Amino acid sequence: MRSRRLRPPAIGSRSLVRRLIWLASAWSLLVLAVTSVAVTAFFYAGVISRFDQGLRELAEGLFAGASVDETGAVSAPPLTDARALRVYSGRYWEIAELRDGRLHALERSRSLWDSELPGPAADRLTLGATVKYDTRGPLKEPLRAVALVRSLPGRQAPVVFVTAEDRTPIDRDVRSFGLRAAGLLVLLGAGLVAMVIIQVRVGLKPLFDLRREVVAVRQGRAERVQREYPTELAPLAQELNALVAHNQEVVERQRTHVGNLAHALKTPLSVMLAEAGRHSGELSEVVARQAEAMRQQVERHLRRARAAARSQGSRDRTLVEPALEELARTLERIFEIRGVMIDWTAPSDLAFQGERQDLLEMVGNVMENACKWCRREVWVEAEAVSDRRLRLTVEDDGPGLPAERRGEALERGARLDESAPGSGLGLSIVDELVRAYGGAMQFGESARGGLKVEIELPRA
Amino acid sequence: MRILLVEDDPDLSRQLKLALADAGYAVDHAADGEEAHFLGDTEPYDAIVLDLGLPKLDGVSVLEKWRKANVATPVLILTARGAWSEKVAGFDAGADDYLTKPFHTEELLARLRALLRRAAGHAAPALVCGALRLDPRAARASVNGEPLRLTSLEYRLLHYLMMHQGRVISRTELVEHLYDQDFDRDSNTIEVFIGRLRKKIGADRIETVRGLGYRLAPLQGETAEA
Repeated sequence: MRSRRLRPPAIGSRSLVRRLIWLASAWSLLVLAVTSVAVTAFFYAGVISRFDQGLRELAEGLFAGASVDETGAVSAPPLTDARALRVYSGRYWEIAELRDGRLHALERSRSLWDSELPGPAADRLTLGATVKYDTRGPLKEPLRAVALVRSLPGRQAPVVFVTAEDRTPIDRDVRSFGLRAAGLLVLLGAGLVAMVIIQVRVGLKPLFDLRREVVAVRQGRAERVQREYPTELAPLAQELNALVAHNQEVVERQRTHVGNLAHALKTPLSVMLAEAGRHSGELSEVVARQAEAMRQQVERHLRRARAAARSQGSRDRTLVEPALEELARTLERIFEIRGVMIDWTAPSDLAFQGERQDLLEMVGNVMENACKWCRREVWVEAEAVSDRRLRLTVEDDGPGLPAERRGEALERGARLDESAPGSGLGLSIVDELVRAYGGAMQFGESARGGLKVEIELPRA
Repeated sequence: MRILLVEDDPDLSRQLKLALADAGYAVDHAADGEEAHFLGDTEPYDAIVLDLGLPKLDGVSVLEKWRKANVATPVLILTARGAWSEKVAGFDAGADDYLTKPFHTEELLARLRALLRRAAGHAAPALVCGALRLDPRAARASVNGEPLRLTSLEYRLLHYLMMHQGRVISRTELVEHLYDQDFDRDSNTIEVFIGRLRKKIGADRIETVRGLGYRLAPLQGETAEA
């Protein structure tokens, strides 16, 4: 029988798989994001420090080469930096004095033309300080600047040497580095998440296997969980098996108790029936009638208890062929005096999903009925209808049953012919059992003359 | 006609004894399994009415012991348990008929009469072929004392082969003897039954003689009389 297809569960809100994947992915992604930010920051720090170093050396050069004449005027050393000559080239210097909290240019590079370099906040400009800061140039371009505050001999007020350079190129470099680093890490992250998913699926595979086995046990295709499981799951598998065994035991015990009670009542009932039969009179009649009512009640409750036990218990797999053989053998002996022959066929691997005694009860009653009514022969055929169903057909060569009376055959206690032996409960029991198994029973006319009974049952 | 009644319930025993005596049978009564086993094993009864739920030794075990000791007396089982699985077990243990409690006394008497009539029909002595034994009075066969579970066709087939053991029997002859005239059978089905029978009695006991038919013979090392 093919069961409902089992997939590993979709990643749903309560899924263990989803939880594991989420946790592992969130952590990896966080780590990767932090890494990408940090790496970019380190790169920036390195680049800017080298940039600052160049500016500072230029400023130190200005300081070293600056001279003061007797009037106190400062003059810059002759510099050969061509970029500082071209107007608005992006590289600037300025020698200024600090007065009233502002810088006043004394000398400046030609590149500045007649604009001034903005200084850093005045409070940072203490004597001897080296201040690195960001500002805007004459063209509003972003500048990186270094300011040295030094005193020159012959001048009272401190002199500030400022050098600045357009930082656009390094900003571009840092940005492109950051983008490339982030791109690489995104790829790495995707790879990690994929790995996590694979790990979880592979790692949890035994769990899915276990579930598949439990389903098989419930559907009766397996008696117990059989595979070897990893150390963490093995105790669970053992407990499951113990539970299955316990369940079966409880069902069995319950069934035995009910059976014992019902059967224990039957001998006293026989005595009452026999005693009532030996005497005549009103008392005997009442006793006989009531004993018969009690017998029917006992039968009914016995069956009901068995049906209840069945719905709880695990479902067995019963091979059809040996069951038919046993029944044929038994019935031929029971009807030996009439020389009844039973011709049966069943594929050797055909199995009924349910208990052996139930299969015997269903087929036994139908076959017995056929044996009662047949002339000489009864035919029984079992066949697979589909993966999940099997059909049992019982035919006889007797007189058959007219279509309009077939419904009556299923009524409890109905006996279509009082002259044939039997309690008349047979076919209604069969009908009840067949329904309990989700099967169907129908009557038809056999090509051999008699009644044809077809039963469809679940196949294992 | 002498009947052994095995029943532990005193009221039912009394009733049945009376009913059987009224019907003209001589009745012995046993109230437990051990006593029943002893009586059935030693006294020549014509039939035994056996309750299955017995003190000391249960009815099925008693019956199995009798059958193993080749007691061929027809046995009618009385039991409260009427499920088919239980009936099959009862017949496999060697019962000849089965009556479910509660029952009417008349039905018991009718079944008993049928049983006695049937037993009288097969009055032939037992047939033996090596370890194989077939008792027509009980319509039963065994190998090494282990009862064989045969369907009626298998039994008839074995019976015929045993009556003519050592001789090659053609398929046509088997078909003619196994089926009534009004059955139109393909002789190929005989092969199927021979196959089933071989599974039960041992494949080597029935030899296939190519083009001619089948022959039943004792296995090598077995004597003809077991």
